[in-house]
Amino acid sequence: MTETFSYIAKILPALLEGTKVTLVVFFATLLLAIPLGLPLALGSDCRFRPVRWFCRGYVALFRGTPLMLQLFFIFYMLPIYFNILLPALTAAVITFVLNYAAYLSEIYRGGIGSIERGQYEAAACLGLNSFQTMFGIIIPQTVKRVLPAVTNEMITLVKDTALVSAIGVADLMKNSRSAVNRDSTTMAFLVAAVIYLILNVVLTKFSYYLEERFSRHEARAD
Amino acid sequence: MTENPAIIEVKNITKRFGDLTVLSGVSLSVHKGETVAIIGPSGSGKSTLLRSMNHLEKINSGEIVINGETMVSSPKGTAEYVPEREVRRICGEIGMIFQHFNLFPHMTCLQNITYAPQKVKKQPKAEAEAEARRLLELVGLADKADAYPGQLSGGQKQRVAIARGLAMNPAVMLFDEPTSALDPEITGEVLAVIKKLAENQMTMLIVTHEMGFAREVADRVIFMADGHIMEQGSPADIFERPQSERLQSFLRSILRT
Ligand SMILES: Nc1ncnc2c1ncn2[C@@H]1O[C@H](COP(=O)(O)OP(=O)(O)OP(=O)(O)O)[C@@H](O)[C@H]1O
Ligand SMILES: [Mg+2]
Repeated sequence: MTETFSYIAKILPALLEGTKVTLVVFFATLLLAIPLGLPLALGSDCRFRPVRWFCRGYVALFRGTPLMLQLFFIFYMLPIYFNILLPALTAAVITFVLNYAAYLSEIYRGGIGSIERGQYEAAACLGLNSFQTMFGIIIPQTVKRVLPAVTNEMITLVKDTALVSAIGVADLMKNSRSAVNRDSTTMAFLVAAVIYLILNVVLTKFSYYLEERFSRHEARAD
Repeated sequence: MTENPAIIEVKNITKRFGDLTVLSGVSLSVHKGETVAIIGPSGSGKSTLLRSMNHLEKINSGEIVINGETMVSSPKGTAEYVPEREVRRICGEIGMIFQHFNLFPHMTCLQNITYAPQKVKKQPKAEAEAEARRLLELVGLADKADAYPGQLSGGQKQRVAIARGLAMNPAVMLFDEPTSALDPEITGEVLAVIKKLAENQMTMLIVTHEMGFAREVADRVIFMADGHIMEQGSPADIFERPQSERLQSFLRSILRT
């Protein structure tokens, strides 16, 4: 028993170091993909066709191919074909942002589409232009509706970050695998699992708090 | 009545949804200070007429002039609208009240009322809020300024919606069945507010199924059926001396229920 604890204590610093990298990928993706999804969502329903086609094509591409492949493409193929060499972590973050923005944009689009037509009509009757209507009336209401789905994506994201180990980024996954290979025991995987789980429990709690906050005024339903 | 300027002039408008002609050759005008009620069976085009006046529906032909400014005309037979910005400005003279209120649920009553004046008219916040509080007082909801729509009853929501419409200081208010979504026992509080507006010489066009109310507050009643104005006149003319068979049978069917 004490042996186990002392082994865990020995590998923990490396795993926590990896956790930091995992969190960097997570937060960088969250902070960049969440806003980037919005122009994509608006563009996907834009009346101007080239914009609509571009956005829809973009979403189809990033949702239709494996994230791992996108990662390899940006890390290995950009240098070959376009002579753009990126550090592994940067390549990872860029890939994740591009990929998650596509998924989030579809969630936003669904949320925006679920707002009743009456809201647009009331806004129009008050003389609000389409920008004021979108950003003052429609999007604030959309936030609450898409929150559960966005949280879901973020939980998936925590786990997806493990993919960055495939291009050599020293995240939690990679560091735990190194420990397993080196020490011939799978204990590091167990510890890593617990760390991923803790991250997601915290995330879920935080999302409940947000949902609570955003539904405070909904005393009555109609 | 006729010496007052026309706030709304609708001339010979036609509106089709696909093959269905919903308005055919409708003309009417509403003069300053007038309260006009529109009655008629379901599907006769009442909502479509109102919605055409403030550009929620585009007409196929005819002419609409709001407060002396042409929004749409048909010099070549089909409707030609003035540019989008102009349309928005002209429609700014029209306030609209919907059956389902359409309050903004993420804003307090005060924010619902002050948002458009601040954004559209660039009114300073303090001024917009003072005006909003005055309007909430007018509709009897001074204590609900900081409540969210979700915390209000249907009748209260509709009164806030009326205050919101009035805050833009429109030349005319359109009401599309303002009490139809309400329980019968609370329609009175909304009707009382509209009546008060009528007494204050607000120009109003009201689609309603409340015949008693139309009779009491309207200066003029318009009966629509099948996309036409079949008959119009004073409440006494319409309710006591209906001319057309359609109106007579409509009134009989209303009285029966
Ligand atoms: N967006 C639309 N697309 C197709 N048909 C429509 C549309 N809006 C209304 N209609 C049709 O137009 C006709 C007139 O509708 P409208 O809503 O103007 O009637 P109304 O007199 O207001 O009826 P109610 O008393 O039931 O509100 C109806 O036959 C309706 O089905
Ligand atoms: Mg109607």
